[in-house]
Amino acid sequence: MSLSLLTGFASDGPIVHVAPHEVFTIGGFPITNSIIYGWICAVILIVTLLWVARLVTIKPKGGLTQFVEVGADFITNLVENAFDDKKIGRKYVPFFVTLFFFILLNNWLGLLPIVGEGFQSASGNPLFRPFTGDLNGTLAIGVVTMIVVYGASIKEAGGLGKYLRHFFIGSPKNPLFFGIGVLEMFTDLTRVLSLSLRLFLNITIGEIVIAVFAYLGSVAAPITALPFTLLEFLVAALQAYIFTILAVMYLAIAVNHGAGHQDDDLTEDDVPETIGPKVAAGSVSG
Amino acid sequence: MIAPIVAEAVNTGIIGKGLMIGGGFIGPAIGIGLVGGSYLQAVGRNPEAAKFLGQALIFVAIIELFGLLAFASIFIVS
Repeated sequence: MSLSLLTGFASDGPIVHVAPHEVFTIGGFPITNSIIYGWICAVILIVTLLWVARLVTIKPKGGLTQFVEVGADFITNLVENAFDDKKIGRKYVPFFVTLFFFILLNNWLGLLPIVGEGFQSASGNPLFRPFTGDLNGTLAIGVVTMIVVYGASIKEAGGLGKYLRHFFIGSPKNPLFFGIGVLEMFTDLTRVLSLSLRLFLNITIGEIVIAVFAYLGSVAAPITALPFTLLEFLVAALQAYIFTILAVMYLAIAVNHGAGHQDDDLTEDDVPETIGPKVAAGSVSG
Repeated sequence: MIAPIVAEAVNTGIIGKGLMIGGGFIGPAIGIGLVGGSYLQAVGRNPEAAKFLGQALIFVAIIELFGLLAFASIFIVS
């Protein structure tokens, strides 16, 4: 009897979803299942982080606060070490810590069994799908991140003109340098797409792999899908870390670029550039 | 003249997708192998270089993007 219950979920082929399904509409605006999941994760994240922030003490106690502290410490060290001037880095730490925890929570909660095929809404489509497993979701995260990164780099460079000046080595009136500068700007614009595509594809391909292996072991699905679920835990954490560190590096390149032109003199102030005849004569005689 | 006959007899969509997947994953696999090999060589020379594992994994993710782009283009080809 239990065998027929288990095979009741079997189907002709692995069911894979790439695009989200609409669940209901609010005022003519379709709300898809990944938007619902994103809201739930955002609420869980806000409640958990605010609650943990209240419990942080000088001497570490056990429990949930330790995990959050480890993660926050890790990202804080990362952000502060990426900048030459630590005070600038300190300003942007909250955004990157939140970004890391949001992407991590979205990816990890997407591996729960209720997210996906098992739990269906009235129309037979899955009720929850991971927010980062949806190209709309990761494009949204990527666009917001790049807006923050560009806004911060323009503010730190001191205006739009000075920020654009850093793309051009030499004088922009030189056609070769102008072409190189335009290509650099174009490379910057493709960063949004590469960040979001990397996150989306990693999570979606992970889901497809788990779906294929769960289909192949039709009755023993929990056993055959287990190794890949564990792999997906690792991949999910790694992708959250990589998104955060790439965003930090983009910001650090733009900000350090602005502050790095002041001192090109590599020598100390009181060491002479060359050894003059006086010093050489002095060393011979004394 | 040959093209419509070939298109009826042979499912060129599947062949196209198969070639994209097969050829698309060779590059990232070799690239990630090279990164891993360099990392292990560097650690063998100087065991203090083991702390750069995080940076090596960052390069792995950048390389892997191109393999995943090959996978994603399956959904674009009909």
